[in-house]
Amino acid sequence: MSRGRRFAIAAVGLALSAPLLLAGSKTGHSLAGPARQPPPHAAPRAAAAPPAPPRSASGGDVRRGADLFALHCASCHGSIGQGTPDGIPLAGIGAAAVDFVLATGRMPLSDPHQPMMRRGSNWTRRQIDDIVAFVTSLGPGGPPIPVVHPEAGDLTTGGQIYAENCAPCHGASGQGAAVGGGADAPDLYEATAVEVAEAVRIGPDPMPRFDTRQINAHELDSLVRYVEFLPRLPDRGGFSLGHIGPVAEGFIAWIVGLGAIVVIVRLIGTPN
Amino acid sequence: MIRRLVLWLDDRLGAASFAKQALRKAFPDHWAFMLGEVALYSYVVLVLTGVFLTFFFTASGQDVVYQGTYAPLRGVRMSAAYASVLRLSFDVRAGLVMRQIHHWAADVFVAAIVAHAFRVFFTGAFRRPREINWLIGTSLLVLAMAAGFTGYSMPDDLLSGTGVRIAYSVLLSVPVVGTWAAWLFFGGEFPAPVTIGRFLALHIMLIQALILGALGLHLAIVWHQKHTWFRLPGRTEDTVSGSPLWPNYAMKSVGLALAVFAVLSLLGGLVQINPVWLYGPYDPTTVSSPAQPDWYVGWLEGLLRLFPDWEIHLFGHTIPEPFYPGVLIPVILLAAYALWPFIEQAVTRDREVHHFLDRARDAPGRSGWGAGGLSFMVLLTLAGSNDVLARFFGVPVESVTNMLRVVVLVVPLIVGWAVYAACRELRAHEAAVPPFHALRRDAAGGYIESDHLTKERAE
Amino acid sequence: MPPSERRVAAMLLLSIGGSAALGVVYGFGGQPQLEGVLLAVALGTLGGAVIVWALRLLPQEEVTDHREPEPSPPEVRREATSELLHGEAELTARRTLVRLLLGALGALALVMIFPIRSLGPRPSRSLFHTEWQDGSFVVDRNGRRIRAGELAPGSVVTVFPEGFVGAPASQALLIRVEPALLRLPPGREGWTPLGYIAFSKFCTHAGCPVGLYRASVHQLLCPCHQSTFDVLRGAAPVFGPTTRALPQLPLRIDPGGFLRAAGDFSAPVGPGFWELS
Repeated sequence: MSRGRRFAIAAVGLALSAPLLLAGSKTGHSLAGPARQPPPHAAPRAAAAPPAPPRSASGGDVRRGADLFALHCASCHGSIGQGTPDGIPLAGIGAAAVDFVLATGRMPLSDPHQPMMRRGSNWTRRQIDDIVAFVTSLGPGGPPIPVVHPEAGDLTTGGQIYAENCAPCHGASGQGAAVGGGADAPDLYEATAVEVAEAVRIGPDPMPRFDTRQINAHELDSLVRYVEFLPRLPDRGGFSLGHIGPVAEGFIAWIVGLGAIVVIVRLIGTPN
Repeated sequence: MIRRLVLWLDDRLGAASFAKQALRKAFPDHWAFMLGEVALYSYVVLVLTGVFLTFFFTASGQDVVYQGTYAPLRGVRMSAAYASVLRLSFDVRAGLVMRQIHHWAADVFVAAIVAHAFRVFFTGAFRRPREINWLIGTSLLVLAMAAGFTGYSMPDDLLSGTGVRIAYSVLLSVPVVGTWAAWLFFGGEFPAPVTIGRFLALHIMLIQALILGALGLHLAIVWHQKHTWFRLPGRTEDTVSGSPLWPNYAMKSVGLALAVFAVLSLLGGLVQINPVWLYGPYDPTTVSSPAQPDWYVGWLEGLLRLFPDWEIHLFGHTIPEPFYPGVLIPVILLAAYALWPFIEQAVTRDREVHHFLDRARDAPGRSGWGAGGLSFMVLLTLAGSNDVLARFFGVPVESVTNMLRVVVLVVPLIVGWAVYAACRELRAHEAAVPPFHALRRDAAGGYIESDHLTKERAE
Repeated sequence: MPPSERRVAAMLLLSIGGSAALGVVYGFGGQPQLEGVLLAVALGTLGGAVIVWALRLLPQEEVTDHREPEPSPPEVRREATSELLHGEAELTARRTLVRLLLGALGALALVMIFPIRSLGPRPSRSLFHTEWQDGSFVVDRNGRRIRAGELAPGSVVTVFPEGFVGAPASQALLIRVEPALLRLPPGREGWTPLGYIAFSKFCTHAGCPVGLYRASVHQLLCPCHQSTFDVLRGAAPVFGPTTRALPQLPLRIDPGGFLRAAGDFSAPVGPGFWELS
């Protein structure tokens, strides 16, 4: 066999094994044994994400919080959180907002004109509680840290609420999307139950907010349960291509589908 | 036994004389000539899997409450069509893999047609006497896209339903007759319950009848006119050589068919496509991001996203903005594409019969226009996913849109001109190369110059 | 067996194995990935065997066909054309009858087009009017009436007129903003009690629901083609292909504290059409 032919066969094999490898790595659960069809996702357990550090029952220490605030936050938000051109005033913003931005690493923000994004959080639970205690001492108001019980929620109700309020920006599978103006609705795969609930209640820039009159506590439980379920949505068809949709499918159709076929065609036909 | 069969058929149909010349028919073996067959075999997969799917699909827009296997949607109102697709995907053995093979085959079918069409274009195979087949081929491309659109819209999921809404609005935007056209074609104000049934009738009946008819004509004409081939030393324009149909070419073609089936099966099993259960049922008051059609409709979507907010108002009437990128420009592009053989004939005044193919460099003008047109369509298709691109590259979607508005007009001109110049350069280079002299050694040990090859170079 | 034959035989055996395995998988209830892979193995190895057979085991031969020029000989063309013309002349000789024939065919063709009218209803006034009226209660997706004071500034909810939940033409977005920020077009004073403001959710470009709300900048975005609307200026378009603002719904708060519409939208909703002035 000529070298060209051997190379071509290897190329075909590689092109065709790519989906196999990708499928195997990404969706292990859908390659479950052939004995039965995969069981219906009737009652997934909630909150499979890594547990957030438990909240201290007594709240944080205001003085330690003041010191941390002066060190990390005052330069943009003002020494007593009164606000500056670089940071919003924080009196009355509420515990949930502070807890959310710190726990998800959105704050501190190195450039105040960049949008907030989830980053690895370097704060300890104690530091977060302390700063929360300090900021809430600046003034009353704002949503408290919500208490959620996803296991008490109903998956279908949560799906309905999600489809109505969240999917337009975050995508039907929680994969995230661009929302214009340079902003991104992030993917929801890393968010813990409390973080989801906090975001819903505070509406971090640029998200709208949904308080208890709009989505009550039980509905929030259901919504959080559904969001926690999103990373485990059944990709029964194989490799999910990041849930991007027809754009990714089109690339695969040309590059893998037609690509593999063209390599085969070159093996069968002559060069002239 | 074969002998008995042949005699039996010949007694009744006189088949032996046809068979005698058909079985020895020459088929040139160039690999690029097989792209049309790839499209054909993708179509075979579509028909086979499609028949299976029709046994399970309910083409009704009637509301039902889902009580099936997929838990997150239990108790949700949806159309009977959507519910039947959920059932097929979760509860019917081999249902999901058949659905996915069908959808991958559709994407690859249109891709193969486009690849084949570009092979025909850049080699000038559409020239006389093959203009009719070019027109038939164009209609096959349009029919394939129409089949694809109606096909993926039938499950009535949130993503495809949004696309149907856009199609309805584009039809609505047609001047004078738009509202009537939309109401009549879709069966009432959107969303009308009868629309899914109409898509089914179009998809499995009318469009397929037209495709089969056009395909039959297309193949019959190629058979009758015989295939083209590349100009090489030793070849003449009034012959064509290749493998005989039986058994060589038939075997190769069957092998190709099986390979196409295999690739589509592999994709259908391993790579998820159109997971409608994740999108949810169609609801005209909800939407999800990102929202794109299948790839071959992407250029239309790109036109809709890029075209500026221009609108014409005439004597108390409106020609709404979607009309220009949605109807007017596509019709112009399609007309230019379909009529290209005649445009080229008028410009080059070449009305000769051609059975030899051009290399791209042999027709710099055609190659330049073709490359420019191809880059235009590719950029439009990319523009259809401007929000996905924006997210991927971390730039605002407005910037992507504004940049593409310029790029989509400028880059095709540059590409077209560059290809044109490159083709001319390559040809000039070939002509400038000194005549190729072959030297042969004779029995006595001396060298003889052979101008056998020089003569062919000069042709 | 020479090497090519062995290769073909091996591939055929693999194919048989693939088909058998596929049958087993199906018999045990099926599994999409295995079904696809095994089908591909069965088909692919069979195809490979056939191709290797064709390329390596069959005698490679080349045949040559001679191309006949397409045009028929001149006498044949002349005879065919004159046959056609002769027949045509015989037909058209009876001119009155020909005219009547064409008339009959034309009339029939015309009337055969009529059933197209049966395909759907005539375009209705729903193009211009929705189910909203003065006094319609503003309800959410569950049919619950919305009270003033229920929505915080920065919130958004999809609403409908009571009794028409889910009606596509009437779908609306209820948003609450700080009243001082509003810069509405003239004539809409009193439409926004307590900072509540409502717009049609039906994008004026191509009809997708305008589902994305960037609360911090008060902009609505349609995901289909990125038409962007500024809520504070009456949902005027600020980016994208749309040419018209989202029609606004006048609101009022009734004595019971419920939000109600004070009329239909300020303009026809949804995408444009010829009859829109």
